[in-house]
Amino acid sequence: MLRKYTKTAAMTAASYFGESPLFLLDYALRLLRVIVLLSIWRVLFAGKGSVAGISLGAVLTYSLISETFAEQLYCQTDLISSFWNGSITTRYLRPMSVFSQFSVEMYGKWSVNFAVFSLPLLVCAPLFGVDPLPHSPLNGLLFLVSLALAVWVGLAIEFIFCALAVVWEMPAYAVERVRGAVSVLLSGAFIPLALMPWGIGRVFGWLPFAATASTPLRIYTGTGAPLPLMLAQLGWAIPLWLLAKRLWRINQEKMVSYGG
Amino acid sequence: MAAETVRTETPKHTSGIGYLPRLLRLLWLYGRLDLLWVTRDMRTFLSWTLSEIVISLASVTGMWLLSERFLGIGVWTRPQVLFLLGYAATVSGLTELLFGYNVAMISRRIGRGQLDHTLIQPQPLWLSLLTEGFVPISGSLVVLPGVGLMLWGLHRLPIHITLIWILWLMLSLAASVGVALAYQFVWGSIAFWAPRSAEEINTSTSRLVDQLKPYPLDGLGIAMTGGLLSVLPIGFVAWMPCHALIGLSVSPYVLWATPIAALVFGLLAAGLFRLGMRHYGRVGSQRYSPFGHRN
Repeated sequence: MLRKYTKTAAMTAASYFGESPLFLLDYALRLLRVIVLLSIWRVLFAGKGSVAGISLGAVLTYSLISETFAEQLYCQTDLISSFWNGSITTRYLRPMSVFSQFSVEMYGKWSVNFAVFSLPLLVCAPLFGVDPLPHSPLNGLLFLVSLALAVWVGLAIEFIFCALAVVWEMPAYAVERVRGAVSVLLSGAFIPLALMPWGIGRVFGWLPFAATASTPLRIYTGTGAPLPLMLAQLGWAIPLWLLAKRLWRINQEKMVSYGG
Repeated sequence: MAAETVRTETPKHTSGIGYLPRLLRLLWLYGRLDLLWVTRDMRTFLSWTLSEIVISLASVTGMWLLSERFLGIGVWTRPQVLFLLGYAATVSGLTELLFGYNVAMISRRIGRGQLDHTLIQPQPLWLSLLTEGFVPISGSLVVLPGVGLMLWGLHRLPIHITLIWILWLMLSLAASVGVALAYQFVWGSIAFWAPRSAEEINTSTSRLVDQLKPYPLDGLGIAMTGGLLSVLPIGFVAWMPCHALIGLSVSPYVLWATPIAALVFGLLAAGLFRLGMRHYGRVGSQRYSPFGHRN
């Protein structure tokens, strides 16, 4: 029953090594970015205690965990690329729903990222002067639940953006890049929302993007009450999925795809 | 188009400065093509342009918010950070404006075998690369937000702006664009030897520049700063020239650092690219099957 899904995920994971031996360079560049970002936080917190109730230690852990789980906190399938290169057409011939295919392929990529980047980053965290452990064991456990909810919300947002690209006949990559740029800012993946000026973080906290990154990271670092935060995630996940499915069902026949 | 091609044909044995009229004619031609693209399909134009503006501003907004929240970043005051962010966005915009259509993403052209399309043109490769990516209309809308940010920062800075200072600013901007382009060519040249796996290497290197360009790099330590001014010369894209322009550096000679870096990295990029071309001359492109499809 699950074999077709696990096989698809495994094939995607294997394609990393087969098609792009230089993929390790990507991780090296990502690591560099993490080190620079951690240094920036140290400069900003120099001589200060806690800012908005967040200590330097907590913000360093927040940034490190944000990078460790970057793929989960910003869900991105290959759906947009398949619009671009035309391969979306063959997806309809496969014995799986389109959503399922792209989702399990994404999980396949995650396994490689986790083994090659996330796990080593967690292990090496003390070398960068960062405590990678959660605020408490309970926070660690609730983080995993919240992360699963974040993925659920993130996937819904991904499919909604893709459906809108179809509706408005927008260039696929433009949609993808805008979503990426805006999400990083609004989700709190880069800056904890509490550290944003003029209280705009409180406004961003009400948007669905916050449910994809800020919520699990706050739970991990113990800077937010888990239960209300997770209820808010659930409150976003259900309507967003209903919307995604409806948009996709109505608009998939309007899809224009070309490539080769 | 055909008439245009005939009119811009170069006489044989032209070299160096002799190419200047042709260079200007080609820039004019590509500028007109960009205008045609902009005016022919408003929906596509608006989608691309608005998305580029959003991406450009979003890439510097995070640092701006932090600067506002913490009343500056390290030794950088809020107006200085604004100037830095504007400068960084302007450099990215100018690179996009002058070297669009994957000229700055050269690994894609090499890896996909599209360099062949450029090589069959009756003109030197450098002339094609200098002109093909010129998009003055669509690109300018990406440059303007950066310039606006820079002016906003300058307005709040106690700097006495003279003609000499403006000339230094222009030279620094040109040099920063040069460093950014050279950095892309150095890494992109790997695609000559590994066309399939390195086709998208410039996506990774460009992403790193986009992410790190607005960071004030003070306080990173000597090794890290040294690395960001050599192996990955991202420090020259905004941090170093802004340091010099707004007077954060003690020595006035720091103003020369970015132009000199542009020269050094430009020579390195040219050398590697030539080496890659020599290899390409032997093996050619492996990306197209005999019936025209990409492998």
